[in-house]
Amino acid sequence: MLNALWVVLLGMAIIFAVLGVLLLVMTFLDRLVRPKEKKEER
Amino acid sequence: MNILGGEFLGFLNLNWQAAAMLVISGVLMWLGIARKVEPVLLVPIGAGCMLANIPLGGAAEPGGFLAILREAGIHTEIFPLLIFIGVGAMIDFEPFLQRPYTILLGAAAQFGIFGTFFLAYLLGDGWLHILDFSLQDAASIGIIGSADGPTSIFVSTTLQSKYTAAIVVAAYSYMAMVPIIQPPIIKAMCSKEERALKMPIVAGTISQRTKILFPIITVLVVGLICPKATPLIGCLMFGNLLRECGAVESLSRTAQNEMVNIVTILLGITVGGMMAGTEFLRPETILVFVMGVVAFSLDTVAGVLLGKLMCRLSGRKINPMIGACGISAFPMSARVVNRLGLEANPYNHLLMPAAGANTAGQIASVVAGGVMLMLVPMFA
Repeated sequence: MLNALWVVLLGMAIIFAVLGVLLLVMTFLDRLVRPKEKKEER
Repeated sequence: MNILGGEFLGFLNLNWQAAAMLVISGVLMWLGIARKVEPVLLVPIGAGCMLANIPLGGAAEPGGFLAILREAGIHTEIFPLLIFIGVGAMIDFEPFLQRPYTILLGAAAQFGIFGTFFLAYLLGDGWLHILDFSLQDAASIGIIGSADGPTSIFVSTTLQSKYTAAIVVAAYSYMAMVPIIQPPIIKAMCSKEERALKMPIVAGTISQRTKILFPIITVLVVGLICPKATPLIGCLMFGNLLRECGAVESLSRTAQNEMVNIVTILLGITVGGMMAGTEFLRPETILVFVMGVVAFSLDTVAGVLLGKLMCRLSGRKINPMIGACGISAFPMSARVVNRLGLEANPYNHLLMPAAGANTAGQIASVVAGGVMLMLVPMFA
């Protein structure tokens, strides 16, 4: 049972880590090649 | 010649399992044709199921055409990967690229996979031993929560689960049932005020350069950190690169239409061919379907919980309901959330942010599949 618990904890941690890195890279990339007219409006 | 002994007349060999599966095949085809429930999948699956359960037909026996397709397309994992090229070519990731933070909602919503895995393992070899669920089976059952047919096939086949056929049918069936499963959970977790929350519109479009770089960077990031996910994410993003690069229009169109249609026919009829009565009709199969509902529900709960947290942290600029779209199941859950938003406030159009979270969930579910393939052999 402990091995399954490890799979759950490590699994979620790895998913957040991988996608967190992807988020950082994409945010950086978006700033790098952002179109000039892009801005956020309410 | 032993005619009455059943070597000649098929119906003399019809046992109750085969008869039940013939009825089920009829129900699957009826759902697809008359009710229009995932007809692209359920009609071929129903047909394959019918062919596999005709006594003495031999379609799914060793050497039969369904067995050959199974060997060639499922065991080699070629079919789900080819489907993913087509899916990648069909998905527009712009809503996600406009709100990249939605990738975190996709990550949270994968909890359904791991929660269901844990539950299945406890019922099986992990603790109670009520059911014949090994660690690999439990992981394959959990992956139903990816709400993604190709990922379910890829993971359950790679882990050599005994329940691959049931898992695949459950995964595709529940994707069609997202409009039934998700709304009660979302309504229970989000007040009407929260459901009515409007999200700011992101002006402008994403540049073509970003759209082209996105699939390449995603493959590099995911592949280098979680290599087991490389085939799935690689094919998904290759399809998307065909779509976005603008240089191979004909390949993009072929991937979106002809290729995905051909592989869907072959995949559907092959999955149906795996539903032989003697193997399929077991108590565990019913439990696999029950676990599927648990997986989809936990996905939704986890996604909405993170959505609520992000709503609070952002100063109520994020509607917590879009967390439910992290489940993947593209585009059904985005439509569900958009409908619930409009019900709460007729001017609350959430389709774009919901589609962003939905496509983020597609990426997250592939990563979750790769993580399962990485961790389960380590702890088995």
